[in-house]
Amino acid sequence: MAKYTLKRVAQGLITVLIVATIVFLLMRMLPTDYYFSEEQLMKLTEEQKNDQLRAAGLLDPIIVQLARFYRNILTLNFGTSRRIQSGVSVVKLIGTKFAVSMRLGAISLCISVVVGVLLGILQTVQKDHLGDHIVTAYTIFVNAVPHLVSYSLVLVFGALVLGFPATYSSRNNTALSCVLPVTCLCLTSIAGYALWTRRYMVDELNKDYIRLAKVKGLSNSQIMTRHVLRNAFVPLAQYLPQSFLLTISGSLLVERFFSVPGMGPLLTDAISRYDLDVVQTLVILYASLGVLGVFLGDVLMMLIDPRITLTGKGDTR
Amino acid sequence: MSSEVAKSLEGKTEDELFYFVPYSSEEAESIGYSDYSYWGSVFQNFKKKKSAVFMSGVFIFIFIMTFVALAIGKYDYSELVTNSSLAFTRPNGEFWFGTDNLGRDYWCQVWYAARISIMLAAIVALGECVLGVTIGLIWGYVRALDSFFTNLYNLINNVPMIIYMTLIALMVGQSFLIMAVSLIAFGWLGMARNVRNLVFMYRDREYNLASRCLGTSLLHILTKNIFPYLISVIILRLALSIPNTISLESTLSYLGLGLDVNTPSLGILLRNARSYFLQFPYLLIFPAVIVSLITVTFYLVGNAFSDAADPRNHR
Amino acid sequence: MITRRDFLKTAAIGGTGLAAMGLVGCSSSDSSSSTTESTSSESSSTESTSSESSSSEETTTSASTNPITDYVDYQTTANEMEEFVIHHSQQAKDLQVLVNMISSLVASDSNGNLVSSIAETWEANDDATVWTFHLRDDVTWVDVNGNEMAQLTAWDFVAGLEWVLNAAKNGAANVSMPEEMLEGAEEYYNLTAEMDTTEAAALAWNNDTFLDTVGITVEDDYTLVYTMKASKPYFDTVCTYACMFPIAPDLVSSMTAEEYLAIGNTTMWYCGPYIMTEYIQGNEKILEANSSWFGLDTNTTFNSVTIKMVDSADVAWTLYQAGEIDRCTLSESILATITEGTEYYDYLCESRPAKYSYQFYFNYHRHDDDGNPDDNWNKAAANEAFRLSWYYGLDLINYYKRTNAVNPLKCENNFFTMKGLVSTSDGKDYTDLVAEGLDLKDYDGENMRRLNPELAEQYKEEAIEELTAQGVTFPVEINYFIPAGNQTSLDSANVLADCFSASLGDDYVTLNIGTYVSSMNQEVRNLKRGGMYGSGWGADYGDPVNFLSQYVVESDNAYYSEYYTLINDFYGEDAAEPYNQELIDTFSEFSEMVWEADAISDDLDARYQGFAEAEIFMLKHGLTIPSYYDITWQLTKSNDYSKANSLYGIYGNYYYVNWETNTDGYTTADYAEFEAAAN
Repeated sequence: MAKYTLKRVAQGLITVLIVATIVFLLMRMLPTDYYFSEEQLMKLTEEQKNDQLRAAGLLDPIIVQLARFYRNILTLNFGTSRRIQSGVSVVKLIGTKFAVSMRLGAISLCISVVVGVLLGILQTVQKDHLGDHIVTAYTIFVNAVPHLVSYSLVLVFGALVLGFPATYSSRNNTALSCVLPVTCLCLTSIAGYALWTRRYMVDELNKDYIRLAKVKGLSNSQIMTRHVLRNAFVPLAQYLPQSFLLTISGSLLVERFFSVPGMGPLLTDAISRYDLDVVQTLVILYASLGVLGVFLGDVLMMLIDPRITLTGKGDTR
Repeated sequence: MSSEVAKSLEGKTEDELFYFVPYSSEEAESIGYSDYSYWGSVFQNFKKKKSAVFMSGVFIFIFIMTFVALAIGKYDYSELVTNSSLAFTRPNGEFWFGTDNLGRDYWCQVWYAARISIMLAAIVALGECVLGVTIGLIWGYVRALDSFFTNLYNLINNVPMIIYMTLIALMVGQSFLIMAVSLIAFGWLGMARNVRNLVFMYRDREYNLASRCLGTSLLHILTKNIFPYLISVIILRLALSIPNTISLESTLSYLGLGLDVNTPSLGILLRNARSYFLQFPYLLIFPAVIVSLITVTFYLVGNAFSDAADPRNHR
Repeated sequence: MITRRDFLKTAAIGGTGLAAMGLVGCSSSDSSSSTTESTSSESSSTESTSSESSSSEETTTSASTNPITDYVDYQTTANEMEEFVIHHSQQAKDLQVLVNMISSLVASDSNGNLVSSIAETWEANDDATVWTFHLRDDVTWVDVNGNEMAQLTAWDFVAGLEWVLNAAKNGAANVSMPEEMLEGAEEYYNLTAEMDTTEAAALAWNNDTFLDTVGITVEDDYTLVYTMKASKPYFDTVCTYACMFPIAPDLVSSMTAEEYLAIGNTTMWYCGPYIMTEYIQGNEKILEANSSWFGLDTNTTFNSVTIKMVDSADVAWTLYQAGEIDRCTLSESILATITEGTEYYDYLCESRPAKYSYQFYFNYHRHDDDGNPDDNWNKAAANEAFRLSWYYGLDLINYYKRTNAVNPLKCENNFFTMKGLVSTSDGKDYTDLVAEGLDLKDYDGENMRRLNPELAEQYKEEAIEELTAQGVTFPVEINYFIPAGNQTSLDSANVLADCFSASLGDDYVTLNIGTYVSSMNQEVRNLKRGGMYGSGWGADYGDPVNFLSQYVVESDNAYYSEYYTLINDFYGEDAAEPYNQELIDTFSEFSEMVWEADAISDDLDARYQGFAEAEIFMLKHGLTIPSYYDITWQLTKSNDYSKANSLYGIYGNYYYVNWETNTDGYTTADYAEFEAAAN
């Protein structure tokens, strides 16, 4: 296992490095004029533009830039933001933001897993009865209505009818002001967890060992919790570590909508403003988390279901 | 033993009663005849779910309507003109679905957008499915390729989609085809990983070991031994991918990375309607109902089909 | 109940100047550089300007109301601040906040006049080549906690100017105006640009080279003298702009240039009315009153101002209804829902025009998507009859309704220069001088003043005849670009397309709507792809030359000639095409008229008359098609007419000083009263 872990870590690092390189090159494919704001483009002469680009090292050959990029990564120098928050180091910028996203994300992940799985169980138990239909209707609703619209509904009803603060605030009523964004975050993921829990549980219910368990005289609830749920949870568990780690990245739409000062809109903003250091650092961060998440998911799946082997007997992996 | 049979056996010698059958390789392989057909049974079972069958009908109706409605509508989508004095007209005999904020007929917009959205979603769902299942099966089953596909997955999945979409929009352009191809190019990942994880679960089950020992070919194991187990999940994913695509498309449009301006979609109509829905709910309701019907259909049909696809539910 | 008020009256306010918020050095406002959506308004940069301020006598509000002490404002997320160095930023989103934190020599009042700020008095010599400012002696710099850090003297303006002109420190940002006006500024900039970067960045703020070269002199600690390159009768108006703000020498010399560029609200020093105690990017900013501010004796400030960042106008509207913010600009859809009849109906307030004068510009050198000149369009655009058929025939009322659904004709713009920028000695607005030379009809409340269908038809026939002879095929396609994903822009463009089709005919011209993903400059303008551009210019300083010189030929600083009309492409040897010789002659003549007027510096009235004649010439030859003013609707608890109001510089309607407020919100009637008083 240790060897396997080491191997996966090494593979992960390589993946992250390759991802970073790809993004580095992709961003360099954009014409250099994206470096400037529209206002600057209007005022600066070609010469002044070149001066600035040269100072930023963007006119060097791509190999030189890449070498510098690797050197910076190795020395953990992630650079400074240029446009998002001019002159501030990227680490500091992300530092102020990720905690907010992660807190909201973690809360809503917990809520959605618990509520979602419970609803899924309810659906399975009540298969083709009222409970199943109600949850199904909910699932359909949140999937049918585009997020932008359902968030608008949450905002309008939450703020105007129920009187919750309409925007996130870190100074007063932080807990209350989290209600609406967390609601929005949970809205779809609850439906997702419920849907998949139901699907996997119904699949399990038809298996032979369940019949055996029934024959053995186990009570329905015992079958559900000890056998069906546990087996059905395996494929769900795979995604949990990744989902948890990626709560850091926040949600673009929700955070924009409720003015949450988190990581969600950061990447799009950084791309559109050509804030290269921010884009690269974010991609490295997300890629690392993604790789780690997949690995942890595999491990978790293996822990829950002993039949699954990752290392494979006699296999080179 | 009935008396007739007993009579017919009377007076026969042992040699007449028992003799060697010549060896026939075909018959050796054949199993007791059955009129069981897997897909036939799936279909039989599916037909029992009346709600799903009904919703399929509704969907087909909507799909046909996207063509018929435009033909019978009073306004032609390509010839819509803005008219501020007609803005926000509620549905009436002239404007069956009312008018939008610029006073343009909403009926033809909704149906035209529905056609675009359904086509986009269907193409993307099929593309994702074919690509995702194929790659997922290989990824999950062939251990030697696992690390290759895991890395490929990581590479594509970890570069945020928004970067790809921005670059594609900037360098290739924006159109229906480009959108469909790029959504497939990133959408197969989820399906493939799901399939791979399931394959993982079934790969080392005893019946597969046995099958391998008997020398069954890889293709045969994948398609006959494992694939049937996956059908229910694949179908459900396929069904959910359709509303997902509609939703994703509207998010991309929100970021300016969606379809080109002259191609409306239900997502865009819904996005626009969010500004008006309190005062002019019809602007939200018509496209939302269509999206909901599509979603409901695929959800019910997906679930019914998944259930029907499970051989244990047959007969 | 919202009556169409007499438009002429509004148009004639002029005089001391209408509204404006200070946009930046270059205030063309058609661009939206991000892929993010701004559903709320035409463009993200103008969004911030849409609630307006203007001149008014102090009108006491009718109802018995309480002023707000802690004001809550909002901005859309696209307008979030990016940096804190006022000299370095060229974006309204930064400057409109920073102007509350640092004061300058002079400021703008609600009448649009320059008023004393750090400079108590100022004067120019006879030919306006030397300007002397006499500073207050009680101005202090404080840190974020309000501790006094230093006394502000004339030297602080030296430090500020050195920073701006040093290429290694400020990277050419905001350098153009001082370069253009101040003696030695260009030389010093070039010197630092040619030096080694680290060496130039290490130059002290008071290095001898700078003091010897550049025309800025400190006579004593509180007397500052600027020396111009040539006569600049409007130099004091330049002092409201970012490049002329002070820097505390102690602060800037305590760190490297790179460190200074990275200052934030907790590390910078303040000498303005507010201190930013909290800055949570993408969420909110809190400005608290600076109790050490020198201006407190004559001005009033809020205890605090909170600026919330919101996603869109729709969210702002929800926040306003929930009582979380004190103002909200109404997008078309919200306005429509309110006019359907809600409790807010009586509270609709019409904003004053933003400082931009919007135009449709022809690109005379359009290239198709493959990069070849589009002769069909270029020939048409070069034809004067073609352009004039637009000028007289293009009915834009429906287009105006996109900006102002209630009083669309208020948005009608018939000039190139923004009204209210300057006025003659007898109080007549500059644009009135221009109006005298145009045959505008009287305002009838139904039609645009410049329209003349018969004339338009005549020009159209003429154009078709002449252009057909040149091999132009009809309909001529007009390529017009909008940001992708911006539904508001798309709706406007569709309405515009219908305006063209209704007033000029589909067989004559058709509007082709294209999109760009991220950058108008990069994806459209640099590739010369647009046939017609919509863009607005807002002045950098108070003189018509700032508008007109953007349109002259053969000048690198002429923004529109360089980037939009591309007329400069046809100057130089053999560059002209046979079909556009006439156009080039027209442009040359126009440019000459502008420079002639600019040479008059001793008599302002004659100077303005000269510019007016150039502008009349320009409009009568259809070199540009004036489009609209940005006048929108809002719900507000603050009186726009009490806010700083300048058509240039960075003082604008987000300068939170001397505001009249009302906890109940102003009614339509209140605003009508304010407007009447202002007229």
